[in-house]
Order: sequence, then C-alpha cells, then structure tokens
Amino acid sequence: MAEKKKTTKKTETKKQDVKKEAPVKQEVRKEAPAAAAKTVAAPGATAKQQPRIGVFICHCGTNIAGSMDIPDVQEYTKTISNVAYVDNYKYVCSMPGQSVIIKAIEDHKLTGVVVAACSPRLHEPTFRRATKEGGLNPFRFEMANIREQNSWVHMHDREGSTAKAKDAIRIAVAKASLLQDLFPKTVPVEKAAMVVGAGVAGMQAALDLAAAGIKTYLIESDMSIGGRMSQLDKTFPTLDCSQCILTPKMVDVGRSENIQLMTWSEVDAVEGFIGNFDVTVRKKARGVISMEEAEAKGIKGGGCNGCGDCEAPCPVVKPNEFEVGMKPRKAIYINHPQVVPLLYTIDFNSCIKCGLCVTACGEKKAIDLEAKDEFVKVKVGTVILATGYDIFPIEKKTEWGYKRFENVITSLEFERLICASGPTGGHLIRPSDGETPKRVAFVLCAGSRDNTGIGKPYCSRFCCMYSLKHAHQIYEKIPGVQSYLLYMDIRSFGKMYEEFYYRIQDEGAKFIRGRVANILEDEKTKNLHVYTDDTLLDRPIDLEVDLVVLAAAVEPKADTNRTRKLFGVSCSMDGWLLEAHPKLNPCGTTTAGVFLAGVCQGPKDIPDTVASAEGAASAASIPIHKGEVELEPYFAMCIDEKCAGCGMCVNLCPYSALALVEKDGRTVMEVTEAKCKGCGTCGGFCPGGAIWMNHFATPQVVAQIDAFLLGGEQ
Amino acid sequence: MAEEAKHKFAFYLGCIAPNRYPGVEAASIKAMKKLGVELVPLKGASCCPAPGAFGSIDLNVFYAMAARNLVLAEQMKMDIALVCNGCYKSIWEVNHKLKHNKDLKDAVNEVLKEVDMEYKGSINVYHTAELLYNDKFIGVQKVKDSVTNPLKGARIAVHYGCHLVKPHKDREFEKEVMLNTECPTWMEELVAAIGATPVEYRNKMQCCGAGGGVRGFDIVHALDITNEKLINLKEAKVDALTDICPFCQLQFDRGQIEIEEKFGVKYNLPVLHFAELLGLAQGMSPQDLGLDLHGISCEPFLQKVL
Repeated sequence: MAEKKKTTKKTETKKQDVKKEAPVKQEVRKEAPAAAAKTVAAPGATAKQQPRIGVFICHCGTNIAGSMDIPDVQEYTKTISNVAYVDNYKYVCSMPGQSVIIKAIEDHKLTGVVVAACSPRLHEPTFRRATKEGGLNPFRFEMANIREQNSWVHMHDREGSTAKAKDAIRIAVAKASLLQDLFPKTVPVEKAAMVVGAGVAGMQAALDLAAAGIKTYLIESDMSIGGRMSQLDKTFPTLDCSQCILTPKMVDVGRSENIQLMTWSEVDAVEGFIGNFDVTVRKKARGVISMEEAEAKGIKGGGCNGCGDCEAPCPVVKPNEFEVGMKPRKAIYINHPQVVPLLYTIDFNSCIKCGLCVTACGEKKAIDLEAKDEFVKVKVGTVILATGYDIFPIEKKTEWGYKRFENVITSLEFERLICASGPTGGHLIRPSDGETPKRVAFVLCAGSRDNTGIGKPYCSRFCCMYSLKHAHQIYEKIPGVQSYLLYMDIRSFGKMYEEFYYRIQDEGAKFIRGRVANILEDEKTKNLHVYTDDTLLDRPIDLEVDLVVLAAAVEPKADTNRTRKLFGVSCSMDGWLLEAHPKLNPCGTTTAGVFLAGVCQGPKDIPDTVASAEGAASAASIPIHKGEVELEPYFAMCIDEKCAGCGMCVNLCPYSALALVEKDGRTVMEVTEAKCKGCGTCGGFCPGGAIWMNHFATPQVVAQIDAFLLGGEQ
Repeated sequence: MAEEAKHKFAFYLGCIAPNRYPGVEAASIKAMKKLGVELVPLKGASCCPAPGAFGSIDLNVFYAMAARNLVLAEQMKMDIALVCNGCYKSIWEVNHKLKHNKDLKDAVNEVLKEVDMEYKGSINVYHTAELLYNDKFIGVQKVKDSVTNPLKGARIAVHYGCHLVKPHKDREFEKEVMLNTECPTWMEELVAAIGATPVEYRNKMQCCGAGGGVRGFDIVHALDITNEKLINLKEAKVDALTDICPFCQLQFDRGQIEIEEKFGVKYNLPVLHFAELLGLAQGMSPQDLGLDLHGISCEPFLQKVL
C-alpha cells in the first residue's frame, strides 16, 4: 500500500487525497460534487443544497438480471455519495415501476433520479415523465445504460458485468448530482411543407399534406412528375397498369390548390431549422413558359398549351431518356404524352438555337431561347425527402455482357418494350434484329446480394416480384414463349405475393436456382448462352435463349451526398438516407423537421413506398398542426464575461447556429438556440471556456470522469 | 543495348517453366533486359507451392512455403517477378494476406523460425506480363519499340488463365490497371504491339482445365474442358495461342497429344508463352527459345512469321 502511494505521487494531487486514507474517502467524495457545484458559474445555477439522488435498478426480466448480480449492485450503490435511496424492480418502465420512482421522489425528498436500465434512446422520455410527475424538473434525470452496453455484450461474464454496472451507476449519480433545471423552448412552425421529388412517394406525401390543409411545395428535378413508376408498364401482383393508377394522382397533384408544383427545379440551399426552413429553389432554365406565366407577363392567350407544334420543326435528335434511350426525341420535348404538367422543355445542352420552334409557336410566344435559371425562396416548417433511386450500372458486371451483347437488356428497358406507350407499341423485340423472342431468361439478383465488391450487398427487394410479372407478361403476349427465371431465392414476401409466385409457376415459367456465371453471345445468331449451375439438380447448365433480361440492382441517387449536405441527413453504410430509427422512427431523420419517404431510405416496392410516404406526410404534418415545436434544451450558451470574441467556434459549428454580435461595446458569440443541436463541438473547443453546454456542462462531465477514475472500489 | 537496367527483380521461376519449357526462362530474361528490366535469379527457391495441390490440402504448409520464397527475395531486397499464374496466386496472394493479417503473419513466422527466417512484408510481387503492360515499369509502347521482327500476319488468340485475374476483389493489379476481369483486352494490346493480329474467340475466359488440381485429380475431365476451348479456338481460325502461364501452356500443348489419344481429335495448334512470342519478335531464334521442345510443333506458325 505504501509503495503504491509512492508510485502515484507524481500524478494529480487530487488523486492522492482520495487514496490517502480509506476512512476519509467517503467524506471527500461526498464533498467533491458539492464543491464543484459551488464553482459552477452556470447561468441560472440555483440549487446549492446537498443532492439527494434516487437510484432505480431495472432487471428487464432476465435481460439484465440474468447477466449480473443485482443485489450486489444495489448494496454497492448504497455506498455511493449523494445516494439517498436505492431500489430495484423487475420492469422499471412499467406503470408500477414508474410509480416506485414517483413515490420515492416524494418520500425521500430526492433532487435527482438515476435509472439503471436500457439505452436512453429507448426509455429516457418515459423516465423523464415519471421524474416530472414526481415533482422534479424532468432534466434532473440521468440514465445508466446497463443493458445494451453491458448485460447484452457481457452476457457470459457475470463478474465483469456486475463491476461495470457499478461503474455506470456511480458515473450517472455523479452527473445527476450536478444536474440543473432546464426548460425546453418552443418555436412557432411555418404552416407550409416541402416535398423533394415527385415520384409516387413524393406525390403521395404532397397529396396527403395538401389534403390536411397544408400548403406544400413539390420540387421535381425532371420536367414532369411521376418518377420511376411512370416508366413501368404493369404493377405486381395485381397487374394493373402503372400509368392508369398513377395518372389520377398526377392530375390531382397538378390540380390541388394546396400544392405548388415546381418541376425542372432543384433545391439550391437550405437554411434554418424545424418550423422555419428557408429553402432556395433553383428553377432551371426551361425555355418555355406556362399559360399562367404568360398571363402574368401580359401575353393574352399565350404560353405553352402542349400542342407540340414546336417539336416537329426542331432539327436536333437525341435519345429519349424516359424511354431509356430506345426512342428519339427533339431538343424541345416532353417525356411522354401523359405528362403533368403538360409543358414543353428545351434541352439547352443540345439546342442549337435555330429559332424554328419560336416561329412554329407563333402568337403563343411560349418559347424563350434566352431563358436563365431563376431562384425562388420559400419558407416551410417541415421537409420530406422523396428523392428516389438510380439503377445500378449493370455493365459493371462484365460477365453478363450488358452493353456488349445487343440482346442483353435491363428490366427497365423490358418495361418500356412491353409497354403499349413504349417505343415498340408494346411488342417485345430482340434489339439485334427486331424479332419476337421465343426463349427469354430473367437473371435475378443482378448486382444485388453481391459480395464481390462490384455489386451491392443488399437485396433490392422488388426485382423478384417484377421478374415474375415480366414472365407473366410474355406469356400473355407471346404464344409459345418459354421463360426461365435464374434466381438465388424468390422473395415473395408481401400481401398476395406468394400466391402470384404460384400463379407464374402454373403459367409455365421455369425456375432455375443458381447464380449465373457468365453469358456468351453466338456471333451468328446473336442468341445468348447463359451458363449457370442448377443447384437443385446439382449440375451445370448451358441455356440458349433469344433474350436476357437483367433484374439490375437499385442504388442511391448519384447526388445523394449533395442532398445529405443540404438537409443535414446521414446515410447508412450502403449509401441510402438514414432514418432516425429503423423500426420505431422509419420516416424521421436525425435532423428535426426533415423526413424520408420512399426508396431514398432503402429499396421498397410501390405499396411500401406509398405507405412510407403516408407515414412521412403524417409525421411532417404533426409539428405544423401543433403550431409550435419544443426544442431539447441542450443548446450551448455563451458566458459573455469569458468570451474573447475570437469567433473560432462560429466556423466550427456544423449547424450554423453561432454568430458574433456586438454586446455592450464588446464582440461576443451568440447562439441561435433553435438551430443548436447541443453537439458540443464549440464547447469542447472554446479556448477560454466561455461556452456552457446545457445538460453536458464541463463540471458535469468532469464529475463523471472523476467518478470513473477516482471513485471506484480500491 | 547495354542500357543500365532501371528495374531489378528477383526472378522466381516456378516448376513447369524450367522443367518443361526452358525457353520461357531464356526469353523472359533476355527480352526483359532489352526493356530495361533485369531479372536476377532467386536462389534457393522452392515450389511456389502449387495453389491447387497444396492450398486445398493444408493451408498452413501453403502459407509457410510461399512465405519462405518471399523471405528469400526480402533478403535480396528485391521485388519478385514471376512468369506463371499459379505462382502468382501462391506468392502474390500469400504476400498480400500476410501483409494484412497480423495473426497469420505471426503464425507463419513461428514456423519460419525453425529455419532462422522471418517474414517482414517488405517486398511486392509482380507477374512479368503485368510489368510489360504497366507503364509504371515498361508499357505497351516500349514493348512495341523493342520489336525487330514483327509477327505480321499471324492470328493469335490469348488465354489469360484464371489465377492472375481472379478473384477480382483480391487482385490489386486487376482493379487498378486492367479494370475488367470478365472480358479483359490488355493482353491483346500486347499481342498487337509485337505485330500480330489478336483474335477474339468464344468463351475466352474459360479455364484451361488444368488448374485447381483438376488435371491431377481427373485428367479426362480436365481434357474435356481443354477440348472445348480448342474447338472454340479452331472456329476462330487462329495460327497460335499465347498464354502467360506455363501450367496452362502444358495443358494446351501436351494436352493436345492426350486429347488425340483419348478422344481421337487432332488440332495441331501451336501454344506459346507470351515471353516466347516476345523473344521471337525481338529476333531470338526458335532454338534459343527451345521451341523444338514443345509437344505440338510450332513449325507452321514459325514459317508464317519468320
């Protein structure tokens, strides 16, 4: 013991004090937090009385109690300074469990509450409410996580997890002893919302918001709305025509009084916070004005009425992107005949400005070849991102020969070829010779569930089902056709999906379980040889077919990073935008007031996309209907006397919440509380210690560290 | 000619090249010298060891033997250059694994201790074909410039062999330089550089049939695969097949004799390692290259190009 003292001598004097004599230890510990509390120069610091902390240890059934010695933890907790009461309960989160807390606050005149249980992400709100019901400020509550970070990970180390639980509780008590009353602020919410992306998710979200009486700005970067769904022919498993069920919604969007549709537009900048987002929208130069715009300009009866007179004389021919390049378009064009809004657009990248369209348009004066981008500012309370997805460039999987062999196509190309309004009028043909294919192979999981590092590790979730539908469609249209589905697993998980799978089996589709090794082309016939394993028959297969359809994976939009930066949204490892909680908050994000709908959050089929859009619309309308939002009071505060006005924190703040202002003739920093997320970047950095982080103040955090390093059992 | 060698490599020969096709060794040393690369013999080297034969039986032996060869080069303070895809699989891959896996490295060093050796991970491993193609070392243009006897009019097909290009995710050269595992064309560029006409053929990337222990385990099966490739090559009307792996070369060259015996089909397709072709293009004689030691006569091809 004496030797040990010598070795520790060089370290902090404080540490020595604690270790010097065992009997004094208790007292020192009892005083330390109180002394720290005295030095707290916190704005609004009040309580100077000796803290009385109540600790409640949860068994969580056997989740926690099964892995540690609860009575031992409880006995130990009694010895921690400032602890006035300790109890344990099978489920503290249950109603009786909460009553234990409420009663103890009154009976034992507690000043703070610690619950040792699960993650605060799960039950912090629950216990804060109980703390409040007991008569304390809800922010006098602190949680010790002894489940996710202890019993679950140290399931087979009873001794270790018991010791760790003691540490966690001691640390939580140290903080609880210094907690202060905090009062959440409320800010008013603008009664308007924005939806970014007008595919089926964005349209549904916008329609719901509009129906709830909320002014909604619907932003779409393409020239017309409808997104991917408008490119599809039929939908599974009901086989209703995609356009037929989508067009009414598109028309509704165009007609809704509460929806301001902005096509050919992109979000350029976002400022502000929940309730008060200031969004700058770039209206890309379209070169064509609508009838409303013409009227505003005083051109009577002018503006684009969609007659298409301009299209015929245009000398520029380009591949039509909507038809996946399988049909020509002009430099002035619309995507397809049913577009909403019915408004032509000039592709200024290929327009040669010959002026023939202007002449053809004549008195309507709808065309302006000198149009420039315009910027519009709008204020909204909440935002829904419904930015959709891209198709994985399947030519990267070189073994399947896409873009090398003419008769290897993607599912999206198949959709356009089988669609009555598509480039072939709905006749499925082989691109090499225009013949009707009699043997068609569908390669599933093309680039999905791929761990080679080239494709995507995740399941794209709707390829199985649309490939089943594709097989059905060729049986419907081509007599005597044979289809082969080359699959890993058929994932027919949705309502009526499995039944649809049986139906396609009965129609004669052949299912071959195996990963396609490679595809080769017969140079003379342009037929394709698909080499695969039949893993059920355990033999290699060389399958000769006329056409191969690759069910290419989906991937996050190419500009996802830009979207993320604009709206302050994270993404998961696979690049999809990250929800606040995958199960319990699938539409929310870590940025308050920003919500996710549809595939931008991860692959979804149409029913799931629409459901998620309705969920997002509901979530986004709540703050708007409530009229105000309560902000967690975890914002930073500037202690003006200590602030030197250096401004270094201003640049560090990731939320642009800080600014330098003049106060009493001095330059000091000021926090916009509503913007501050309490991340602590500024507080940790401030060279003068002039920033007070509410609920994570320096004395509180230091007390936690001290409790860990100094307060253990020696 | 006596240009100072810009790069020096420890030359790892492997088994089949020196024993069956000594011309590959001669051609590699001489041709590379003209391109500013000196190949210094890696003395005391053992079998790589063969990835199929050893790797599928006992990985520990496989790692330790390959590591021993690597240590010999580390002691010479030189990167390794080799001429065989099988050797590449063993030596490159073990080097890569040991560099990235400390536990494995420690375990291997525990074994190497018995022979007073320690693997450090201080060198890299290259295939000579990779050196020829990569501008960092030689590059296609330099290969072209070194040609004195362009192989004009010869239709030559390429067999890449599996181990150099696959698995894709474990091949840095593949990812950074060649970019395409399933339909690469960089060897065709080299064939064009020596004046010949590269010819594409059906199922180019199919295995030769020998690798992975198939030849040793089930020769009829191995020859069946080889036969399929030969059918496709015959269809493409090629004068010769070139490879960058002596084991593939063995399978195509001696394999034709075996196929004749077993299946009664005759192809008479000359099979040459790219180093041998490069030697010819740089003016070496067929005798210098030991082409008379091939199982299938190279005469008709030589008459066309010489």
